[in-house]
Amino acid sequence: MNWINAIVQGVMLGGVYALFACGLSLMFGVMRTVNLSHGDLAVLGAFLVAVLAAAVGISPFFAVLLVLPVMGLVGVALQRGILSTALRTGEMSSMLATFGLAIVLQNVLLEIFSADSRSLDVGSLATAGFQLGPSVSIPYLGALTVAVAVALLGGLQLLLARTGIGRAIRATAADADTAELVGIDSRRVYAWAAAIAVATAGLAGAFFAMRSSFSPSMGPTQLLFAFEVVVIGGLGSLWGTLAGGMVLGVAQTVGAQVDPRFSIVAGHAVFLAVLAFRPQGLLGMRRSRT
Amino acid sequence: MSAPMTGNLSRRSVLRGTAGAAGLLSTGGLLTACGGIKESSAQSDAVLRIGYVSPTTGPAAGFGEPNAYLMKKMRAAFKGGLKIGGKKYSVEIIDRDSQSNPQNAAQVATDLINGEKIDLMLVTSTPETVNPVADACEAAKIPCLSTAVPWEAWYFGRGATPEKPFTYTYHFFIGVAEIHAAYTSLWTEGGVKTNKRVGVMWPNDPDGKAIRDGLGPQLKKSGFTIVDPGAYEDGTNDYSAQIAAFKKADAEIFNTFPLPPDFATFWKQARQQGYRPRIASIAKTGLLPSQVEALGPLGYGLSAGFWWTPKFPFTSTLTRQYGFELAEEYEKSTGRQWTQILGSNMALFEVAVHALKETSDPKDRGELAAALGKAKLTTVVGPLDWTSGPVKNVSTEPLVMAQWRKAAKGSSFPLEPVIVDKNSFRDIPLGGSLEPLD
Repeated sequence: MNWINAIVQGVMLGGVYALFACGLSLMFGVMRTVNLSHGDLAVLGAFLVAVLAAAVGISPFFAVLLVLPVMGLVGVALQRGILSTALRTGEMSSMLATFGLAIVLQNVLLEIFSADSRSLDVGSLATAGFQLGPSVSIPYLGALTVAVAVALLGGLQLLLARTGIGRAIRATAADADTAELVGIDSRRVYAWAAAIAVATAGLAGAFFAMRSSFSPSMGPTQLLFAFEVVVIGGLGSLWGTLAGGMVLGVAQTVGAQVDPRFSIVAGHAVFLAVLAFRPQGLLGMRRSRT
Repeated sequence: MSAPMTGNLSRRSVLRGTAGAAGLLSTGGLLTACGGIKESSAQSDAVLRIGYVSPTTGPAAGFGEPNAYLMKKMRAAFKGGLKIGGKKYSVEIIDRDSQSNPQNAAQVATDLINGEKIDLMLVTSTPETVNPVADACEAAKIPCLSTAVPWEAWYFGRGATPEKPFTYTYHFFIGVAEIHAAYTSLWTEGGVKTNKRVGVMWPNDPDGKAIRDGLGPQLKKSGFTIVDPGAYEDGTNDYSAQIAAFKKADAEIFNTFPLPPDFATFWKQARQQGYRPRIASIAKTGLLPSQVEALGPLGYGLSAGFWWTPKFPFTSTLTRQYGFELAEEYEKSTGRQWTQILGSNMALFEVAVHALKETSDPKDRGELAAALGKAKLTTVVGPLDWTSGPVKNVSTEPLVMAQWRKAAKGSSFPLEPVIVDKNSFRDIPLGGSLEPLD
């Protein structure tokens, strides 16, 4: 039964990982750049939610809804202020620019909020679970996270497939220059993609903060997992990102069930195995066509 | 050795004597990450340079919290210089941030030794910061004093043996023996009945390794059953496997040495999955009020070892303040709750000054190192004595157990640690008895 519980908890963990990886995946898919400040943007989102919830006295869930548009604007600013210039000089400089931003963000957050750990208090939701037999428990917060992850990634998939902006994003991702020829403003498309990506980072940060605790230095650790999720799932594939999150989460919990020291290593092993045997990722077929 | 805790001591007179320390308001926040403030002295050419390394940023930054306050206080205390062997020396403290990271700690140590030409190194908080700095000092023959790492992790972790001790590096802190004595005392005499089965989460890092090798066997000897699912990596995001093992073994006592987010994840998951120990003793994360506060009501009732609290009846040899006066001043000037690392880091400077004054030439590295090895004094954290330590380079200090409780109404802070087990230290007053969780 412990094995079943490990898989259940792995899926719940996968929900958080998928949320974390969503924006990273989108930004890579559209702009072909790895945003190394993604984890720190998630931490920024968590801080904004914490500050807003405390200042106005509202539930963190409600605060998240208000913070998401703000994070979207941060994304636009990131694109307009840093990435658009950096992208013109090549992939490497945009990666370096986001790496620099990551360090700036960490230190600004440390300066403002100190090194204290914080948590988003969602009351009994964080600690309650639905008991299925003696050793299997489905935490309410975990289930909610998975539901949000599925809705978010599904919604984005729909947006890309069915809407005008979605088509523009896909066209730009496939070939920005040609897309410009048919009248698509790639600057606008990039701004939209960055806005969505950073907003989802904020969402991921908020859910992580409810599940655990957070501090200004937490970003890079979670970025590593998000990066693994994107690679496992397949670069640029949103359903792949969801699947990748679940695979990494389950790998870690099942690894821990064998021996706690294997938890993170098992995740890395799956990541390496995917790189070695299926470099396009689990659901990464689409990229070969683009 | 120890002065009694008195209420009739005139606080004003003490404060007046501390070089106007109350005016040394800290602005809080970051210390300059790359460079300390240097003080120059016009009166003498002889300058003693003291390097100070501590984590101000990075995962262990919580331990660096009192640095800004302490630096100002120490610089004020050294303003008049030190008179040693009939000669006057001005004192310069050069502080550096280790960024909680061993590579960076080694880097700043090398810079302090070769670039700043320091005479003495002080280093504090976590093996990741302290060990590489001490190693660099031992190699460069620079006297170094450190604290806030369990001494076994500092001593054996750096490859010393009683036959082959260090020459230039000295340390004071608690060790496995103190932790063992404090835990067993609390868990058996504390007033909460248990089945003596201890679920442990000791991570795969220097602290965790020292504890697993040292504390584990000793707890078994004292009649506890250890339920150890194995070492986990720091940064793990799921603890279901451990929770399942603890539930299966019905571990009524829980102990861990975690990083803050790891413990928050574990403790919430333990609730979700129905693991509720009667006693939970949390090292590392459980030591600092800010980290326990992050857990909200889930933090009430956790217990932790304290190597210093303002209730300790000792005074600082540098500022002549009692512990409670130091804590009050710290809270007033920073707006933050006192932490036990404040006492340790103050004591670091106390021992440094004591040793410097024992030498005939404080610039003589060999003589200064020997003076550290012979030091015996009572600091704000209590009596320290390198002549009777467990090994040559180490002095140990008292450890008591306190339980985090909701602070009384009117307190500026949400939590208050109440000393619930004073172990064998009769000078330290008890605040109450241990309450079971829930």
